[in-house]
This record gives sequence, C-alpha cells and structure tokens, in this order.
Amino acid sequence: MPMPEGLPILDTYMSVPTRGAKHLRYLFMHKHLRDDGSKEMAFPAEYMFKDHPQWDPDSPDFDPVSFVVESMDRNGVAQTILMADPERPDFGDTKRAFDQHPDRFFLGSANFDPNDVMGTTAKIERHVRDHGVKLIQFFPSGTSPQVPIDDPKMYAVYAKCVEVGVPVAVCAGVPGPRLPMDAQHVELIDRVMYDFPNLVFITRHGCEPWEDLMVKLMLKWPNLYYSTSAFAPKHYPKAIVDYANTRGADKIIYAGYFPDGLSLDRIFTDMPGVPFRDHVWPKFLHENARRVLDIAAP
Amino acid sequence: MAMPTDIGVIDTHMGIPPRDKVEAYGFFRDMLHDEGSKDMTFPAEYMFKDYPTYEGETDMVAFVLRNMDEVGVARSMINIRRHDTDPNIARAHQDHSDRFFYCWSFSPHEGTPGIAAMKEAKQRFDIKAAICFPCGLNPQVGISDALMYPWYAACCELDIAVCINAGVPGPRLPLWPQKVELIDSVMYDFPDLRFVTRHGCEPWTALAVKLMLKWPNLYYSTSAFAPKYYPADIVDYANTRGGDKIIYAGYFPDGLSLQRIFRELPGVPFRDHVWPLFLRDNAASVFQLD
Repeated sequence: MPMPEGLPILDTYMSVPTRGAKHLRYLFMHKHLRDDGSKEMAFPAEYMFKDHPQWDPDSPDFDPVSFVVESMDRNGVAQTILMADPERPDFGDTKRAFDQHPDRFFLGSANFDPNDVMGTTAKIERHVRDHGVKLIQFFPSGTSPQVPIDDPKMYAVYAKCVEVGVPVAVCAGVPGPRLPMDAQHVELIDRVMYDFPNLVFITRHGCEPWEDLMVKLMLKWPNLYYSTSAFAPKHYPKAIVDYANTRGADKIIYAGYFPDGLSLDRIFTDMPGVPFRDHVWPKFLHENARRVLDIAAP
Repeated sequence: MAMPTDIGVIDTHMGIPPRDKVEAYGFFRDMLHDEGSKDMTFPAEYMFKDYPTYEGETDMVAFVLRNMDEVGVARSMINIRRHDTDPNIARAHQDHSDRFFYCWSFSPHEGTPGIAAMKEAKQRFDIKAAICFPCGLNPQVGISDALMYPWYAACCELDIAVCINAGVPGPRLPLWPQKVELIDSVMYDFPDLRFVTRHGCEPWTALAVKLMLKWPNLYYSTSAFAPKYYPADIVDYANTRGGDKIIYAGYFPDGLSLQRIFRELPGVPFRDHVWPLFLRDNAASVFQLD
C-alpha cells in the first residue's frame, strides 16, 4: 500500500507561470463572473484552497521554467503535460521549457472557444499537425457563452478530435469559479460516449458531486477516463479511489494543479496518504497516462 | 415575364431510377405506423396525382437523359452514394459527367467513419453537396441536433453545400426534425456553410424568407413541388430581394415527371431577371459548377 519511490511520475496537468500578476491568467472568465468577490481573487477558485502557489513575476531572478523544473525535481515528477496555447503571444516561456527539456515536457492544448466551431476545428488540426499536442482541453462552464459537454458545437469538435486521433480533456462537475454548473454535469458525458465510440475522453477537475455516476460511466464506456486535476490528494473522492482499487485501475490518471491552485510540494506531501493498492500506484502515477496519451518513459 | 427556353437548365434534384422503388424507400419504412403508408410504393404518393413509372425501360440512364433532353435540362445533380452497388449510377458517372454532377446522401448515425467516407467521396466524385432527410432517419434527428454538427463542419471543410429537407414531410412521420426554425442556429454556428433547403419549408415559408434575408448563405430549392404549388411567399421573395436565393429543383423520378414540371413552369409569375437565376445561375454559383 505505500506509495513506491522512484517511479517516473507523469503529471498530466501543469502550466508555466505567466509573466505579470497571477490574476491575468484568468481574465477570460471575468466577463461572466457576476459576484464582486470573484473579481477580487487572484484566482477565481481560490476560496476552495488554503493557499495557492505564488510567484513574483517582477523579481529579476524569476524564471518561470526553472520554477517549474525545480518543483518537479523536488517532488520526483519526471515528466509533465504543459497546458498552453502555442498560438498565443505569451507561449514563449512554455516553448522554452520544451526546448530546454524536450524529454520532460509535452504539450496539452488549451484555450479553445467552441462557440467558434470552424475556428476551433481548424485550430485543433493545426495544433496536432504543427505541435504534436497530446490532448485538447475544454472548460465548458468557462467559455462565454457556456458550451455544455454535449452541445452540438462540441459534437463538431469531438468529430475532429476522432479524425485527427487526439484525446479530449474536459472539465466535469461543479466548477470552482462562481459560474453556472449545468454545462459540466457528468451525466452529459454518457450521450457523447455513445455517439463517439472512438473518442478518448478524460475528465478534469473532479466530477463532484457526481463521482458515483462517473464510476458507472467509466465501467460502461471503455474510452472514458478520470484525471485528478485540481484536487489535493487528501480530497480525492472515495468513490474514485475505491474504483481504482477494484475494477478501475486502468482508468484513473494522476493530474496535479500547479501552479494554479496547488503546489507540487503540497500534492506530494498528501499523496502517500491515498490508500491505493500496490498495483494501482504505478498505473495511477504514470502508466495509464503513458498508454492513453502515447508518451514514452524517459 | 416569359420563361426563357434553351438556357441549359440545371436541375438540383434528380435520380436514376432504382431497380426496386419499394426497396429504395425502405430506409424509413420501418418507422411508418399507419397501414395506408405501408401499401404505398412511394410513401408520399398520396400528395401526387400520379408519379413517374418506368416499367419497360431497359436503360435507366438513357431514360433520364431522354427526359432531360425533352424539357431542356442540361445538367442535373444525382446522388452518387449507390455508385458501388448500382451499375446504372456507375455508368452515369463513367459516361455522362458532362450531364450529371453529384451529391452524397448521409445519415448522421453513420458517425465519424461516415464522415471519412464522405471526404473520400469528395476526392473520388468531386461531390458538390451533402444531402439529408432529417425526418427519415431512424431514429429521427433534428436539423440543429448535435449529431448533425460534425457533418455541417465537414461540409465547410470540403467547401460543399448541404441540402436538407425542411418543412412538414410528405411521408407520415413526425415533423419536428424539419421545423424551419431549427435552421437559424445552424446558420449562426456555421457562417460559411451553404445551406439549401429541400421539399418546400411548408407551412413555414414566411419564416424561411425571413431567415434567407438574415443569413447570406441560406438558399431554398423547389424540390418535390409542382410549379403550380410553389408557395407565394417564395415566388414573391424571388421577385424582390431574393433573386439570388431560390434554386430550381425537380422531383424526377420520385414524384413528378419533368414533362409535368416544365408544362407548369411557364405559369410561375417570376420576373424576367429571375428566370435565368432560378433555372441555372443560382445553382451554378451555390454548387460551384464550372
């Protein structure tokens, strides 16, 4: 039961800290956050976290790439998926991470607005062709207007992902930011998996409070997976840990939340306390992600 | 006001007769509940005084070309989907590509492999449109349903039009999938999609006109309607702001003979400048014909 040491851990959710104040990362949400409190937060889900990673972008010594690499090294994380948009002007630091550590970093593509259907499908094609992205991520409650998991616009997007052979990672469950939740209800996933049997679908951000339903759906749909992004290990839902320990060892994928809401130090301080069975640990910490996202061990 | 002759009409809804007309409509026969429909050869036949028959015809391609020649139809769009299973379709394609151009019928239930097949058909046959009959799908799928969206996206990528039946269907099936109002959000989400309605849009023709005025890439084709029944809303729109929007389509050999259509056409009160647009030029533009 103890967490083994020395595994080549693969974190499927990380990003490079942005230059400038932290709250600038989340401005895209502000146009539909309604409460005043959220707008004053550096990070619109910060009320859920005891603390969240801080950095001083104005310090002359600050290097976003070193900040990430040192954090990984301190905690035994061998490789990570960096979530970014290679077409944004601020991609430079992420690109530098790839250039400096090509064997440690892989790209997950974020920053899509499926309200622009054909713009999104064309961008997915470009990202897969030009950047070899490992997954395409969507935040249904965070787009404006919101685009639910089973929205017709998403169907055009899912079809494109199947065509080019890239998995999707989709936030599911009640969102942390104070936005309506309907777009991310876990039950919406069922129909998508029925209509796209070849789509590889990974949930982000917990699926709470519908984690029991998520387990039912993972049992039902072979290509449906759960990643633990945005949750400190001490709060991993019991249904998910139980499922990993029984029939679902191949289905649960480690993802952190650095540097948004959790430090890697916090995550890996908590991690040994998760009651995974021996055979689950390597699958959870890297093997499942390697298989699903096609990433070789270093 | 007189209809011109010898301008080389383009008919955007034509078929090579299938060997078995009953079987050809079999794809939705399972969904018909009423006894009456089950006795019909053609499930909308109650709407037509008579419909074309072709007993005794030995060469179906020659039969269609002869009919086109008799009324002055230079080119027509046929469904190439049966190319590999119906030798007549293969022969029409092989020998008469100067007279025919092609569309591809789809069911959104075919999913992503079906989309890949349509993309291949673009390469093989230079298809100009994808066509779909939302009420005839089993289960039915609305015009704005999520299942349709990947196909609309594929049409945009291929730069082909999509032709969709809209309005109350003739066959005795529920109408909800073809309500004209469903087109609105599709046009919003796919501003580059060239969307052509088929089979009349009735009784929501006034709404169809409003939507055509609103959406630059929305068009109406007159399939399945004898010219004496073209809706007044549509003829009026063609004569005013919609000269570029209304496209001739017949219904041969399903429900109307070309002789009947072209006997009635001169009675349609189109203005002079509308006739060549309606009979030829709009189709050439929307379907990107040479």
